[in-house]
Amino acid sequence: MSSSAAMPSTRRSSVRFASTAWQLAFTRALIHVILILIAIVEAFPLVWMILTSLKDTHEIFNTVLPTHIRWDNFPRVWFAMNFPLHLANSLYVTGLTVALVVGLATPAAYAFARYRFPGREVVFYAFIGVMMIPPQAILIPMFQFLKSLHMLNSLTGLALSFVGGGTAFAVFLMRTFFLSLPRELGDAALIDGCDDFQVFWHVYLPLARPGIAAVVIIQSLYTWNEFMFSSTFLISPDIKTVQSAVFQAVGQYATDYSALCSGLIIALIPVILVYLVLQRQFISGLTAGALKG
Amino acid sequence: MVMAEPRKNPPLALRSLVVPAIFIGPAALALVLLMAVPIADAVILSFQNWNGMKPPTWAGFGNYIRLTQDATFFRAIWQTAYFTICTAILQTIIPLLIASLLNSGIRGSSIYRTLYFMPVIISLAISGLLWAMLFEPNFGPINTVLRAVHLGAFTQLWLASSATVMPSVIIVSVWQSLGFYLVIFFAALQAVPQELYEAAKIDGANAWHRFFNVTVPTIRPVIVIVIVLNTINGIKVFDQIWVMTAGGPDYASATLGTYLYSIAFGAMGASNSRLGYAAAIAIVILLLSLVVSMIQIRLGRGRDIDSQIEK
Repeated sequence: MSSSAAMPSTRRSSVRFASTAWQLAFTRALIHVILILIAIVEAFPLVWMILTSLKDTHEIFNTVLPTHIRWDNFPRVWFAMNFPLHLANSLYVTGLTVALVVGLATPAAYAFARYRFPGREVVFYAFIGVMMIPPQAILIPMFQFLKSLHMLNSLTGLALSFVGGGTAFAVFLMRTFFLSLPRELGDAALIDGCDDFQVFWHVYLPLARPGIAAVVIIQSLYTWNEFMFSSTFLISPDIKTVQSAVFQAVGQYATDYSALCSGLIIALIPVILVYLVLQRQFISGLTAGALKG
Repeated sequence: MVMAEPRKNPPLALRSLVVPAIFIGPAALALVLLMAVPIADAVILSFQNWNGMKPPTWAGFGNYIRLTQDATFFRAIWQTAYFTICTAILQTIIPLLIASLLNSGIRGSSIYRTLYFMPVIISLAISGLLWAMLFEPNFGPINTVLRAVHLGAFTQLWLASSATVMPSVIIVSVWQSLGFYLVIFFAALQAVPQELYEAAKIDGANAWHRFFNVTVPTIRPVIVIVIVLNTINGIKVFDQIWVMTAGGPDYASATLGTYLYSIAFGAMGASNSRLGYAAAIAIVILLLSLVVSMIQIRLGRGRDIDSQIEK
């Protein structure tokens, strides 16, 4: 579209503005203004958090920008709140949960997609049903279950508590993915003398990587960010995950907002880093998960 | 290549069960142990009295009957509904409008989307802690900013007052989820055929008309999904409210999730934690979630039929 020539005015140009290049430019500018205002609203809490984390404790409430940038809030909180330990705890729970979920869900999703067998529909609907169970519904029994296994206050126990819901969801998501892969590949491999397990392992598993990646992203983020189970099932301070540890520290720091904001930032950094590196996969994985789930 | 020896296969019918069973078995076992059994336990527990120490005793429908007489429970139901309805409306309309702006062919839409998406990856607990500081009435930045621009009359107690606590909690939810629903809507909008808009333009439809007569009907299925997602999340709401207010002040922000939690675990160490009663609330949450999920499945089926008829 040429910017110099006036746009041909619409047929009904009576009272209505003709859509000229000027009007178009104005509309665009207006849209950008709205979008920038929204960006400011969305970013404000995060910017405030970063600025506050760099302030001296004395000037938290007095200035907008820190007069002297104080990086020492970070080491102070890093050691006082024992972050290395909590980050390691979160990493362990997340890693174990993701490994268990992927390990359990991938073969199951594959079988639902590839085989016809009696009772397939019923079993699959049972899986979907499990997916709809809200975590509150199993909170108390899970607490008792872990207690009876002597796995209360244990990171492995916490990971186990996530595996049921996570697996159901991952089966649902990955079944759709396996359904999109051509049947003929497996049939050809069967004719070549592969058995069912070789077909799964050598033919379909390598092709399923994008599906597995989506599950890994969704499950990692969910597990890393999970709050209710982790703050209920983990009791002693040393064993807490990042989320529950930060929550517990709040009372102790009260209005020491510099310390609190530094703590929140440290807790956020792992997720933000992964997000910045894997932005596309993150956004598409999360939204795909929501749309299919 | 060596010819594979003809394998001795078991009869087909059996074989057709054995292989899937091997693939599905472990996952099914995990689901039974970690979901089905706990749900059964929760149902049983909801018919019992139990403080977590002494052996439980049967209560029949006692817990459920007590629920119907519990004013706080009804308050929690009302506030859960309030939160769910408000977020379902706001978190559908606002992201949809902004996604339409982003889809209007302006430059830098991917930068905006990346920025708006940032709060989505933050945990509900951390954003709750952050907003609790922002809302702090005396020296929190929101009131400070209002005073600085001479809008001191608009300062609020936010989370500390029963009048403003629910709207405040809803603001946090809208702020955090905007990018998520926006990305879903944006993807849907990109799939709307451009010709539809051009045709509408030729017919003289302005932006509003195009939005309501072209955009909304075309992406209606996605709008329904977003509303359902919002509803399911609303029924379960817990993390951010627990972190910001623990359901207070004086139950003014209690939802089913926080009320259940404060009964079961809030009074840790106190002798009268009523686990059976809390389990009854858990069952209420479960049933509500299932009803919404059923509606979702129904709507999904209706949609499939619609699209078949159109063809």
